[in-house]
Amino acid sequence: MDAAPPIAKRRPKRWRLMPERGTLSLFELALLAICVALVVARPPQYLQDVIIQTFLWAGLALAWNIAGGFAGLISFGHAAFFGLGAYTSTILTVNHGVTPWIGLWIGGALAAVFATLLTLVCARLRGPFFILSTLAAAEVVRIAALNWEKLTGGAEGLAILPTASVANMVFDSKTTYAALMLGYLVIVYAVTKAVEGSRYGYYLFAARDDEDAASAAGVNPLLARTGAMGLSAFLTGIGGSLFAQYFLFLDPTHVLSPELSFQFALLPALGGLGTAIGPVLGSFAITPLSEMLRVYFGGKAAGLHLAIYGGVLVIVMLYFPSGIAGALRRLAQRRRSDAP
Amino acid sequence: MTALLEVRDLTRAFGALKAVAGVSFSIRAGELVGLIGPNGAGKSTLYNVIAGAIAPSSGEVVFKGRPVAGWKPYQAARAGVARTFQIPKPYRHLSVLENVALSALLHERTVAAARDSAGVVLAEVGLADYLDVPVANLTVGLLKRLEVARAIALRPSLVLFDEIMAGLTPSEVKGMTSLVAALPARGITVIWVEHVLYAIMNTAPRIMVLHRGELIADGAPATLAKDPAVIKAYLGEETSLA
Repeated sequence: MDAAPPIAKRRPKRWRLMPERGTLSLFELALLAICVALVVARPPQYLQDVIIQTFLWAGLALAWNIAGGFAGLISFGHAAFFGLGAYTSTILTVNHGVTPWIGLWIGGALAAVFATLLTLVCARLRGPFFILSTLAAAEVVRIAALNWEKLTGGAEGLAILPTASVANMVFDSKTTYAALMLGYLVIVYAVTKAVEGSRYGYYLFAARDDEDAASAAGVNPLLARTGAMGLSAFLTGIGGSLFAQYFLFLDPTHVLSPELSFQFALLPALGGLGTAIGPVLGSFAITPLSEMLRVYFGGKAAGLHLAIYGGVLVIVMLYFPSGIAGALRRLAQRRRSDAP
Repeated sequence: MTALLEVRDLTRAFGALKAVAGVSFSIRAGELVGLIGPNGAGKSTLYNVIAGAIAPSSGEVVFKGRPVAGWKPYQAARAGVARTFQIPKPYRHLSVLENVALSALLHERTVAAARDSAGVVLAEVGLADYLDVPVANLTVGLLKRLEVARAIALRPSLVLFDEIMAGLTPSEVKGMTSLVAALPARGITVIWVEHVLYAIMNTAPRIMVLHRGELIADGAPATLAKDPAVIKAYLGEETSLA
């Protein structure tokens, strides 16, 4: 047999229209430009709140996606990592005067350690059993936070003094918060893209799709999984700290709730599991929707906003099983095949 | 020459059933050895033990002079043992090229280099036209070739092929046979389980026959074809091999 020609020539460097693994696309740059414009334009305050939450939730959905989408570790326990981050930086700043700029790294690290230990114990469980074990672990953390009143303030919660200063990471202007959350989103997105195109990303995808085959190709699946969960929890913990600095109040019922965990999983699932752009699109579509529904219907017909929200979710899940990102990809493919 | 792989008195029991019972053999570097036997003979179990997917109940596996019984699959792969799966196990959300690139990453330093060398291997097995195709769209025959490509991309010293001809057309069998036959010259020793007998009987200079967990014959195809025990156990009475 002749020596085979090197057919997999590297593609010429040029900008791609739609998001792809390993490179940046025009779509992503345009989206970033829109985000920056939303921050700089200083819209009315109620809109700014929606924007801030949308950015934060996009970052958190991306962080969840590294475990749930890339590594296939569907977790319903990420509220524990979020809460660990939020409580750590808040307790450090309220009780010990440590600036949240340092506290958020410590919170993220604690969340990562907790997630790593949890995965080492639970990773031998599969499918629903793994999901339930993460849910249970998060509940343990919530109940512990409720009862460890000396540290967490229990059900009464913890408040951060609203003294605005850069060192306190407390700001008068919503625009500053919006810029902060966009910074978080961009950093988590950059980490996601880096993982996605890397050797480690390949290991995660392989271990997710077929553990036996990945192992036979030299990948240690447990190590790959544990790392993904640790990284995901680290980024989620940092998001928790940022949330605390924005909301200035923490209690276990809010920052450690199962509802929060479901939301982390829902946004990537709707946007497109296992892609980088999917969780972002998920948050951009759903966070404003849920906020607006709450504002319009929350007062008049209590619970109606949840019914509409649920209905939208069901429709998206039924007709777009690979999420918004999947629908966009199909659209791009159709355009490409239409072209001569 | 010393043995590349040495299996000594290997037994693996599942409850009361001994899937592999006291098997011993030795493979030299550069050999191409066929492994045949009826369904349930213990071929897959033997593979799983050598490749680290399951631990033996007793006995020894020595690879490159090192005792390795009970090692993990990823340790086996890194040490130079590659395998295919009888039922293909593709990474179903990755493209054909990415499936093979994952294997190539074992030796390549960058993802781009791994994709390049994956492309070369895919051309060898005749999958050059399928690089960007999602694996969900592949037929069984193509999936078998993908398995072979992934194994070769690991650049192993020893490869364990498990029924890679199933689902191939006669002309594809011919192409695959010459690919396999050329591997020893490239420094890849081959053990080959196959039910497409004419392919293996005409290619492998040495054949081992496994029956009910025991190695009942080990020799040249021509000798085996006349061995009454082999004929009785595997081929039935009054059957000719070649």
